[in-house]
Amino acid sequence: MTMLSLTNELGTVLQLFMRSLETGSVYALAALGIIIIYRTSNIVHFAQGSLGMFNTFVVTYVFLSFRLPLWASTLCGVAAAIGLGFLVDLLIIRHTKKVSPLAKQIITLGLIMVFLGLAPMLFGVDPLSLPRFLQSGDVNFGGASISHNAILNISLGLVLMGILFYVLQKTKMGLAVRTTASNEPVARLMGVPTRRVTLAAWALAGVLGCLSGVMIAPTTTVTTSLMDAVQVNALFGCVLGGFQTFYGPVLGAYIIGVGRNFLVYYVSSIWGEQIMYLLILIFLIFRPNGLIGKKFIKKV
Amino acid sequence: MNDLSSPFTNAKPALWRNAYLRFVLFGLLIATLPLFSSLGLMKSSTLNYIGNVLVYAVAALGLNLLLGYAGLISLGTAGFMGLGSYIAAYIVKDMGMSFWAALVAAVLIPTLIGLLIGLISLRIEGIYLAIATLCVSEILLKSFEQADSITGGMQGKSVSYPVVFGHAFNRSSTYLMLVVVLTLVMMLTHSFVNGQKGRALHAMRGSEVAAQAMGVNLLQYRLIAFSLATAYSALSGVLYVFFVKFSYPSVWNMNLSLYVLAAVVIGGLRSIYGTVIGTFVVWAVPDLILKNLPVVGGINGLPYIFNGILIIVVVMFAPQGISGLWPLKKKKKRQQVPQQVPPSGKEAG
Repeated sequence: MTMLSLTNELGTVLQLFMRSLETGSVYALAALGIIIIYRTSNIVHFAQGSLGMFNTFVVTYVFLSFRLPLWASTLCGVAAAIGLGFLVDLLIIRHTKKVSPLAKQIITLGLIMVFLGLAPMLFGVDPLSLPRFLQSGDVNFGGASISHNAILNISLGLVLMGILFYVLQKTKMGLAVRTTASNEPVARLMGVPTRRVTLAAWALAGVLGCLSGVMIAPTTTVTTSLMDAVQVNALFGCVLGGFQTFYGPVLGAYIIGVGRNFLVYYVSSIWGEQIMYLLILIFLIFRPNGLIGKKFIKKV
Repeated sequence: MNDLSSPFTNAKPALWRNAYLRFVLFGLLIATLPLFSSLGLMKSSTLNYIGNVLVYAVAALGLNLLLGYAGLISLGTAGFMGLGSYIAAYIVKDMGMSFWAALVAAVLIPTLIGLLIGLISLRIEGIYLAIATLCVSEILLKSFEQADSITGGMQGKSVSYPVVFGHAFNRSSTYLMLVVVLTLVMMLTHSFVNGQKGRALHAMRGSEVAAQAMGVNLLQYRLIAFSLATAYSALSGVLYVFFVKFSYPSVWNMNLSLYVLAAVVIGGLRSIYGTVIGTFVVWAVPDLILKNLPVVGGINGLPYIFNGILIIVVVMFAPQGISGLWPLKKKKKRQQVPQQVPPSGKEAG
């Protein structure tokens, strides 16, 4: 009897953990987009969620109107994300070298308004729905049942991030991104094409936002507030992990995904999320630069 | 204090040189708007939009104090506005107490939380501080959604127009109340930033180390800055709930905090009138002006797109905000420079 309840318990924990990994992947993809923009353009990308929302609308619209398969619709969304990322950088970000760092953040707010207006204009005000990639099928192991779709989402997140980190650390392109991130003017002097790096960063952030949108869409409806929670949690992932590395925010996002689900299940379904955020605050008081943050040296 | 000291060097009448009188005149000017509405010269709904601008301007002035003068950033405005609005609604509606009790409690309780954030701000800096305040705001927002018995949960909470000194207010008199409160807040802000505490905040923004060397207590002034900003936000929330007559959790999300921040940056840091203008650009321009344009206004969502583009353009081409474009402003600044020297000289001596 006790053995049975123990295995039941293990199954629940395992199931919770896998589900947390799924939400964690969504947050992590969004957080990675934010940190890439932060490191290359020095902008906290508050519009990451709104851009992702808009591109998810593109995916849903193509899927529902042209009856394309979901993977093809997603490719259309990815293409739209790349195009929009290019546009944002070419039209706006490139011309803001002289704008104060604070005012730069306001630009992303302007972008939020633009996309909040564009989405209902182009796709209507009714909530749309997007199905999962894999409609049915569950895997049972260790007393936990996990849908095929969840496994796909988790592995997609991990594989994508694996590829990105490989590119960042091991290739010449990644070196260009890292030098731009560490010191943009010097990188430009050394012949790193920083403009192209920034352009690519905006496109990449758009793609990551779109994918996180497509992952989260089946759990709810596609509306303009689709990505609000993702945006906020991705930002929290960034401070939890620290803004100084690329992998810190990803780690932070997974921690939030796991921590939130466990607190909601085991502690309180009403106050779990607030407790998670409170813990982040307390953690920040003890480590003001995040988990993997290096200390800022203040100049006098 | 030096405003009236040299009336002959300036062509303007002495009356106009007094900043407080200018605030009163400004208040009187916007107080006349309900008159136009009742005469049928202005659409009745316009008053609602202007009223909203007055409400948000109070919160924006608070953020401008924090950001412009103290150089500290906060994305918690929305949470504190919401907290103020729910406390006020709960006290008036569920506890049946007076408007004044609601006002005091709804401003004091968030201010205490603001003090705590002031403490935190000594440890956490820059973007981390901004997101830490966002974290507080999100905790409050989630609590608004969950604490059904107090906040009414997702259905929101409704109240009626306030009853002040036995008078049951209607829409016009509530509007006048907003005007009076905003004018008072503008005066208070003006006297604060031009006084000794405002100077200390200025010094802190320039260099914390230098400010400390001159005897500015960092902790004390950060606490003052954060508690004032939070008190303003909470007051703004109280005004909101009595003017709009409801409070939904979905109103108090991150975007609202960002809009308030945008109003401050667009209007211009450290400018009181600029902040009001910035608030007008963010909240009233899409509904009041853009929606009434012939082609643009008819299409769903287009006013917001234009407003977003407007915000981006202002930030890109007017880094000092709208108040920086004001041609008089530069002249005034040049005149003020010699005035600023003697007091500091006196202090040094």
